[in-house]
Amino acid sequence: MADTKISPHSLAELKNTTDDALGNYLRGLKFEQDNTKLDVRLAIGYASVIIAAATFAADYKLGWEATKTWTAVAVVAYALLNGAFTYWMWAVEKGCVFAGVREGKKISVASKTKKHDPTYYLTISSANSESRQITAPFTTWFTADGYFVAKPFQQWLASSVEAIGNADSKNALRDQRDEIASPSPEVELTPQGNGTVDASGTDGKSKGSKRSKRKG
Amino acid sequence: MFSALGNLQPRQLAAQILNFALVLSTAFMLWKGLSVFTNSSSPIVVVLSGSMEPAFQRGDLLFLWNRGKETQVGEIVVYNVRGKDIPIVHRVIRRFGGGSAPLQLLTKGDNNAADDTELYARGQSYLDRSKDVIGSVVGYVPFVGYVTILLSEYPWLKTAMLGFMALTVVLQRE
Repeated sequence: MADTKISPHSLAELKNTTDDALGNYLRGLKFEQDNTKLDVRLAIGYASVIIAAATFAADYKLGWEATKTWTAVAVVAYALLNGAFTYWMWAVEKGCVFAGVREGKKISVASKTKKHDPTYYLTISSANSESRQITAPFTTWFTADGYFVAKPFQQWLASSVEAIGNADSKNALRDQRDEIASPSPEVELTPQGNGTVDASGTDGKSKGSKRSKRKG
Repeated sequence: MFSALGNLQPRQLAAQILNFALVLSTAFMLWKGLSVFTNSSSPIVVVLSGSMEPAFQRGDLLFLWNRGKETQVGEIVVYNVRGKDIPIVHRVIRRFGGGSAPLQLLTKGDNNAADDTELYARGQSYLDRSKDVIGSVVGYVPFVGYVTILLSEYPWLKTAMLGFMALTVVLQRE
């Protein structure tokens, strides 16, 4: 993909670039994209544009008086189609940026951002589980001057989403996946020889040689 | 700037073009909707001359209503001279007919010395309410219409405006 630079201050550009990258990444992993939602939106939209164009042509050729009734009908039809269009975008699509299938498993990804918050919110719903929300700051995969870096983005996706991790094992880091599964405690309790418990978190044995020498 | 468009999938490009097309078609359909509502072929007109001063100045925006069948003397109407496409805004000073007979009107600009008989087409000495009149003035906004006068006197402005609009809507993805 070309190295395009975007403005890192524009939330819309950050989101759109990330959405595009998400689509490219998943398609590269052989997820078959399901375009039905977008196709329906395009169909409704272009149908209303065609009605408007036909009304314009009729009015241009035949004038106002002759086309009055047709224009009234067209205006109502256009209003209804536009209402359907807006409803479709708001209720059905709901921020969906990718919907696809891989090895029989469906996945649907919707993204959103909140005003003045440079975080990417993804809602993922796969066939077997209900929707999960994962978030990450845009700084994870954007440099300070606005270049998109694919690697951390793919790592984040592969580690956070099972379906993607299964498809792309190179990017799914084992540690991170285990972290998400069962987070480990901050500190480990290691028993010391003299009956006390050392909670410092360091392994006494590995660094012991230097220590014992100094103490001794 | 345009490289951003080149990276798009064909469906997304279609979606961007749809956005621009919807802006144009919604504006047009709103205009037509207003036309249907007021029953006038041109529900909003701009005053082009100073013949109605001091009531209306050049550049005022007028709102028309064409569903009043019994236009009275003293009402301000907008009409097209037969054969010409220029709307004229003048006051009704005489009426003939009305009721079951077709209504005929004689008009005159407040700021003109003579009535409009000179302005009408050759052989025409009155206006036909149902055929010639676009509507009666029911409201106005001063000066706002001057943009339209500029657009018609400098037609390159229209192309420039449209081109600029197209650019911003297609390249913006908000």
